[in-house]
Amino acid sequence: MAREAHPALPEFDYIKPKTLAEASQFLSEHAGESRPLLGGTDIFVRLRDGAWKENKFLVDVKGLDGTDVLTFDEQTGLTVGAAVCMNRLSSFPAVKEHYPLLAEVCDTVAAYQLRNRATVVGNICNASPAGDTVGACLLYGGILNVFNVGGTRQEALNTFFVGPGKSVLKPGDIVTSLQLPIPPKGMIGKYLKLNRNNRGDLAIVGVTAAAYPNQDVPSGVTVRMALASVAPTPLVVSAIEDYFKQEKLTSDTVQTAAQLAMDSCKPIDDVRGTARYRSLMVRNLAKQALTALLEKM
Amino acid sequence: MTIHTITCTVNGESEVVEVPAHWTLLQMLREKLGLTGTKNGCAGGECGACTVMLNGAPVNSCMVLGVECDGATIVTVEGLVKDGQLDPVQAAIVEAGGVQCGFCTPGVLISARSLLDRNPNPTEDEIKEALVGNLCRCTGYVRIIDGIKEAAKLNEPVVIKE
Amino acid sequence: MTLAETKKLPSPVGESKTRLDVIEKVTGAAVYTDDIPFGPGLLHARVKRSPHAHAKILKIDYSKAEALPGVKVVVTGEDFPKRIGLYLVDKHIFARDRVRFIGEPVAAVAAINADIAEKALDLIEVEYEPLEAVFDPVYGASPEAPLLHPDMADYDVPNYIFPQAGTNIANHFKIRKGDVERAWEQCAAVVESEFYIPHVQHVPIEPHVAVARWDDDGTLTLWAASQSPFAQRNLIAKSFGVSQSDVRVIAPLVGGGFGCKAGVTMEALPVAIASKVKGRAVKLTLTREEEFFTNFVRQALVIKLKMGCDADGNLVALKNTMYWDGGASTEYGVNITRAGGYNSTGPYFFPNVHTDSLCVYTNHPIGGAYRGFGMSELHTGIEQTIDMLAEKMGIDAVDFRLKNCVKGGDIILTGMTMHPTGLNQCIEKAAKAIEWGKEAKPSSPNKLRGKGIALMWKAPSMPPNAGSSAEVKFSEDGTVTVSLGGQEIGQGAFTVMAQMAAGVLGIPYESVRVRGPLDTRYSPYEWQTVASRLTWSMGNAVVAAAQDARDQLLDLAADHWDEEVEDLDIVNGKVISYKSEQEMSVKDIGIYGLPNENFEGWKGGPIVGRGSFMPTYVTNLDFETGQGDRAVVHYTTGAQAFDIEIDKETGRIEVLKSASAFDVGRAINPELVRAQIEGGFIQGYSSAVYEQMLLKEGAMLNPSFVDYRIATAVDIPIEHHVDIIEVPQDDGPWGARGIGEHPMVPTIAALANAIYDATGLRLEGPPFTAEKLYLAMLDAGLVE
Repeated sequence: MAREAHPALPEFDYIKPKTLAEASQFLSEHAGESRPLLGGTDIFVRLRDGAWKENKFLVDVKGLDGTDVLTFDEQTGLTVGAAVCMNRLSSFPAVKEHYPLLAEVCDTVAAYQLRNRATVVGNICNASPAGDTVGACLLYGGILNVFNVGGTRQEALNTFFVGPGKSVLKPGDIVTSLQLPIPPKGMIGKYLKLNRNNRGDLAIVGVTAAAYPNQDVPSGVTVRMALASVAPTPLVVSAIEDYFKQEKLTSDTVQTAAQLAMDSCKPIDDVRGTARYRSLMVRNLAKQALTALLEKM
Repeated sequence: MTIHTITCTVNGESEVVEVPAHWTLLQMLREKLGLTGTKNGCAGGECGACTVMLNGAPVNSCMVLGVECDGATIVTVEGLVKDGQLDPVQAAIVEAGGVQCGFCTPGVLISARSLLDRNPNPTEDEIKEALVGNLCRCTGYVRIIDGIKEAAKLNEPVVIKE
Repeated sequence: MTLAETKKLPSPVGESKTRLDVIEKVTGAAVYTDDIPFGPGLLHARVKRSPHAHAKILKIDYSKAEALPGVKVVVTGEDFPKRIGLYLVDKHIFARDRVRFIGEPVAAVAAINADIAEKALDLIEVEYEPLEAVFDPVYGASPEAPLLHPDMADYDVPNYIFPQAGTNIANHFKIRKGDVERAWEQCAAVVESEFYIPHVQHVPIEPHVAVARWDDDGTLTLWAASQSPFAQRNLIAKSFGVSQSDVRVIAPLVGGGFGCKAGVTMEALPVAIASKVKGRAVKLTLTREEEFFTNFVRQALVIKLKMGCDADGNLVALKNTMYWDGGASTEYGVNITRAGGYNSTGPYFFPNVHTDSLCVYTNHPIGGAYRGFGMSELHTGIEQTIDMLAEKMGIDAVDFRLKNCVKGGDIILTGMTMHPTGLNQCIEKAAKAIEWGKEAKPSSPNKLRGKGIALMWKAPSMPPNAGSSAEVKFSEDGTVTVSLGGQEIGQGAFTVMAQMAAGVLGIPYESVRVRGPLDTRYSPYEWQTVASRLTWSMGNAVVAAAQDARDQLLDLAADHWDEEVEDLDIVNGKVISYKSEQEMSVKDIGIYGLPNENFEGWKGGPIVGRGSFMPTYVTNLDFETGQGDRAVVHYTTGAQAFDIEIDKETGRIEVLKSASAFDVGRAINPELVRAQIEGGFIQGYSSAVYEQMLLKEGAMLNPSFVDYRIATAVDIPIEHHVDIIEVPQDDGPWGARGIGEHPMVPTIAALANAIYDATGLRLEGPPFTAEKLYLAMLDAGLVE
């Protein structure tokens, strides 16, 4: 409980392994009392608030094999190392060119100085329903590269989240990078975030929408939407994708789709907003986001 | 509690510091190096009073471990004055009246310096966006923003006169 | 051209001089309390706090904490039997028999470092028996509510505060002017309203911090981020049973106060702990979270109003009942209630007034001074109700205000005669700035647009005899040091005092030094840095001290030249004679005096100017009627106005234009006055749209910047127009009145009136969040 926050960080030891294997080994041997450290912007806040009292070690995985990579490949797409901070990512020319929605969402997170530490992979691994960058990564079809001393594997984002703060990651797992495939040709996107302030706040609701031409669906355009802060996990609204298989994106269908978005979410009351307001704002922001896509098309 | 010995460059000086593993860069600067210009306003990465430049980019020093700074280059508010001359952001904020209680000022100045480093001619919106992470309760931000606009026009450091 | 004309400086008074503390503040050299080094012997304190809003303490076992290596002392309420408090002495430093709010100190630890102190807290075991709690001041004032302070009748209290024994009402302030019940019959229109203004926090960027050390000779030194070193000296000396002169409070620069660093809040905690470890300095710094929920808060207010006017639109009667949520202790809050009472009409003339202002104990955090001292809360009710009445009469809201606002010579609610005021000009200026009366269409069909205005008045709220003093001394280089006891909390007090001293002495502003830290051992007495009183009260003391020094210089020169003082002057740092056209530098005589002819002896000596000021004319008010000759020293008045749009899709407010106009008597430093108005307006705006302590069963749900949002750089209205009006105050230096608090007083009400103009909706109270506005518009059928 934040009321019992510490003056500074509670005691722990800092581990700087030389290899991923060493890091993974340590994390699995100290399951429950150790955590991998990336930017720290979430871990430090939670440790200070008195969460994770059992934590004894932070294992710094920044700089380990592949975590510092930021590359774009015409065939395989974008690789974002786990340690790549949001400012570096959003100013990377290939991101601006090929993944503009990713750059857009990064810039809505907190403040500039925090984004010099905060990472997209960290944002994903926190598995917070409010994560600003998660929706875009979901819509880009993101895949996480996970190292474990027992073997590496890939985790698709659409099956990654289990509950608030919970993911499929197990002790010893280290996400080394995020992989985003080449986006479909002509893909456009929009992120709308409702803050209490004008910017820099956590999302009361966040609506990420994307569309691209697709000859495999009757309407000729695939439209997808992800929502933040309105369900226990980041939510991809499958009803929207289904609806626009048949329907074309028009000012009329936008209204119906917005209602579908509203009906698909299960927000709760908390200090940032009531469930009632959140539902209505999903509808209104979904409408605005889809209208923005319509105007861009 | 493990104590780490790290080497870093702070305001141009090479420093060897013994820092406990769980200490933040903010604690290290204030309590090990005596650089108390950097302020602790929330210890939670929200208020920006502890903003310093780490390897050329502004960070909340309460959100970085001291031990993470081994080999790093750090600039604090004390490092803005060079050869007895104020940095243009300092001079312009003085001139604009952007200082009241002064507690947010060190962090504001680092954010402003960093903004002008990466964007020498920012728009008003870009200035405001660069200050989102620096809370000020006294000024209402108006004169801080005015000061940064003016700083962008100044090219030369300004001699301190008092 | 005379000598004087050739050398005369423009007076620094009225000029926008650069702050004299600004270089140290932009270079990181400025020293705040947390920056003072105390060496490795320093002990770090942490406080064990109540998790219950109201409970009996059955048992405290701290044996395990005491045994933890590195812990030097553990203290509890057992150790400190005496109460402490600024007005009503009702607060224990640590809870003794019972706890009364979540966060109340129950025990504390001092250890060799903060980590150990923190661990020790977990080892302290406290058993509680929960009691029925009070979270609503209206219920709290009723006979059904459990008594939170059964011993209230025994508490020390000044004779202008009226606790009601056997109730939770810690002060009942009344105004009975005219006959309100009969007056309703004369009214052509009557409106009734009720509003709730929630708790908010001050949010200085510097959290509270204090360091205390007791020495074996029985003396105490306290270093604190403090608006009130002298009040702290006095209250702490009384509570610890020592002499005031054995308590030394050192107060460096303050990183924002806004009232929360006035009186004694957490400073008594390290003092208490240090009393058990003599010779060791003990430091306590509040976390940001503690800053939010354990510290003085702005009390919530329930205000019920009934207001009527006659057929010509003249205000006739006001009934105002205010229930202030005083919290667990009302030591400071009782006087906010009093201020709410004697200002309870707002800046309007009413022939008939019936006010009950009740300070009610609750199990919420403790109420204290917050920029405006009750006035933002009061005016949020009054100014909306004025609009309601004007609308009912079909009179334009600005015309209605011009007609009824208080004017010089009016007999105001307490029976005092109002001094000259420029409120009329303030109304006209603020209205003009937002093009009042000119039709304004929304910028899109998705927006609603509205304009609103609100007025304010506020007098310094303080004991009738709050005093100031100052000294002026010379250095060998001809510079002058002004010693004073009022604090630099960002408002620019030191700068303004230097301007005044320079103006009186006839020396350049640049030759005057005013520097902290304040130190009760050496600084002249000042009551507190509160109530927007320094420019006026401390200013008068500085002027008197500078005048005293000037007289001494002129006497010395007159003697030396064998001339009359009337022919002499001091300009630009030189004493000159208009008659003989001789001159000599102040620098040469300020310390060393002057030799007689042929050095046959000397005259003069180090010049020390002394000055003090205390209002002598303030009278108490009758308990039954609230009437008296002069309740307060003066009123600063002003107006603010908004032109806004509301987004129909989200409920967000966008400010198109806003304006402030305040009558400051005389702006000693116009840019600093503007800076106060701009900053205060944004603080008011922030409280109007974002801020509320979310309290549930006494627990604050949002005690951090993550969820207690304040305005940031991207949230500020694009255009804020400022007008300064100058109708001089008879006893102010150069006619000056204070302006520190006033700019945030009318903001909530002005915005509420603009929201009504846009939507036809009046919300129960601030903050006017996007969510509240959207849902209210939805329920009213304004949006889908």
